[in-house]
Amino acid sequence: MLETTLCGITLKNPVIAASGTFGFGAEYSQFFDVGRLGGICSKGLTLHPREGNPGLRVWETPAGMMNSVGLQNPGIPVFLERELPRMRTLGTAIIANVGGDDLEDYVEGVQLLSNAEGIDIIELNISCPNVREGGMAFGIKCDAAASVVAAVRPVCAKPLMVKLSPNAEDIVAMAIACERAGADAVSLVNSFKALAIDIHTRKPVFDNVTAGLSGPCIKPIALRMVWEVASAVHIPVVGIGGIATWQDALEFIMAGATAVQVGSATFVKPTVMLDIVDGLERYCADEHLTSIATVCSILGTETPLP
Amino acid sequence: MTNLSPAYIEGATVLSQERLTEDVYRLTVATTTGGAPGQFYMVRAWEREPLLARPLSVHSVDEDTVSFLYQVRGRGTELLARLDEGGKVALTGPLGHGFHTEELCGRIAIVTGGIGIAPMFCLARTLPAGDVTVIAGFKSTPYAVAQFVDLGVDVRVATEDGCDGTRGFCTAIFDPHIYDMVVTCGPMSMMARVAHLCAEAGVPCQASLEAHMACGVGACLVCSCATVLGNQRVCADGPVFDAAEVVWHA
Repeated sequence: MLETTLCGITLKNPVIAASGTFGFGAEYSQFFDVGRLGGICSKGLTLHPREGNPGLRVWETPAGMMNSVGLQNPGIPVFLERELPRMRTLGTAIIANVGGDDLEDYVEGVQLLSNAEGIDIIELNISCPNVREGGMAFGIKCDAAASVVAAVRPVCAKPLMVKLSPNAEDIVAMAIACERAGADAVSLVNSFKALAIDIHTRKPVFDNVTAGLSGPCIKPIALRMVWEVASAVHIPVVGIGGIATWQDALEFIMAGATAVQVGSATFVKPTVMLDIVDGLERYCADEHLTSIATVCSILGTETPLP
Repeated sequence: MTNLSPAYIEGATVLSQERLTEDVYRLTVATTTGGAPGQFYMVRAWEREPLLARPLSVHSVDEDTVSFLYQVRGRGTELLARLDEGGKVALTGPLGHGFHTEELCGRIAIVTGGIGIAPMFCLARTLPAGDVTVIAGFKSTPYAVAQFVDLGVDVRVATEDGCDGTRGFCTAIFDPHIYDMVVTCGPMSMMARVAHLCAEAGVPCQASLEAHMACGVGACLVCSCATVLGNQRVCADGPVFDAAEVVWHA
């Protein structure tokens, strides 16, 4: 009932662990069989290792949290050698999330990942709000996004999913630009660029000044963006943003998402994604659905787009 | 002592909640999941708000209970303090790498600042009492020190307002030269001072670090601390580190 096809890849179900919230899968394997998930997005990878941002990296907000990790990761070669073999034993689809500082890094990184056995989908991160040069620089302007997608497309033999930023000038135009440049799918949204101020020091809480907001507080906006994008593109859309329950996941699916990613909610409850899988399964049974796909995009696009 | 593997437990029952001072509490919960000295749990006692669980070190442990000593600092700990006997908490743990107890031999100093005393009781219970000196600093009224005396441990107290023990910081009454091993937990600036004194004296020091955490299990990388080995995760690589490897900013 929950089996889902994403870019030609068969997922056990449409519930995927979001990048940056699940490491490389090993940590949460202590709590549950992560092989029951539809897939795992790796921690955001870059060609070269990154130490990430200095200073405080997390701040709680009402119904959410801000983070400023800054793409700390061991680099793609170390990932391929050390982490990927372990990930391949987990029994779920592997989505490698890749960021970059410039076009050359993106291309070289994607090339390395594309040649690696065991990676099912490459998720191109053009939306990290916490690194100055790379990531989101490409996620604001359609032209910049299209240029990076077009640059990596020829070297990417695997399905290419582009992770969009809600900070894009026009997220619908952005999705269309990525589709035209060769994306096989888009995932959205990454965290919202946000600010917190320490009133005692009269300074920003984060060294980097702004940070990425995620959690239940962003869900209604993320859902609206997914619905608008799904209405405008012909490639699959993966919904992300504050999903914490199976009902949340179902809303994204009804808005047009083929699959969903769960992030911050895993911090609240390590096994929350199993609850979501079980809840969706019960829903299908109760509603006598042969497949969860039958309710995908059921909201339709009757309401005229702005 | 071997670090134990974690579990996620929903609805663990509160056995007792003791108020030790105006803002320091001891919460005892029924669970068989245990914990090695220096390990911690992610604890929550609420549905939605605040979003994240709170990391609390294991204060005391036996076969079917775990106790936490904590100070009310914000919304999460305020809600924890409202729990009564019979209340329910969700626990993820025990987590992290605790004290390297196998290295603790000879004369041992436990140097703490404020609520940093929390993880030291279950550590002291595993050590020969006659070898241990606790040097505990507090802003004002001390707490949780009598139990060390009961163990037969030598306890020395410093208070910033002079209401008990020596007036001033605990680091003023700590001479590393007379110890073979030091363990410390407290504010970063205080631990930095302890680490510095130990390095000068050539005495090994283990420091238990505190950090804001999100996942608590090593996946999200928001609690990283700078070490000579690069960024390490306080939750999963620590919380106990060799003090000589930590890059102290304070």
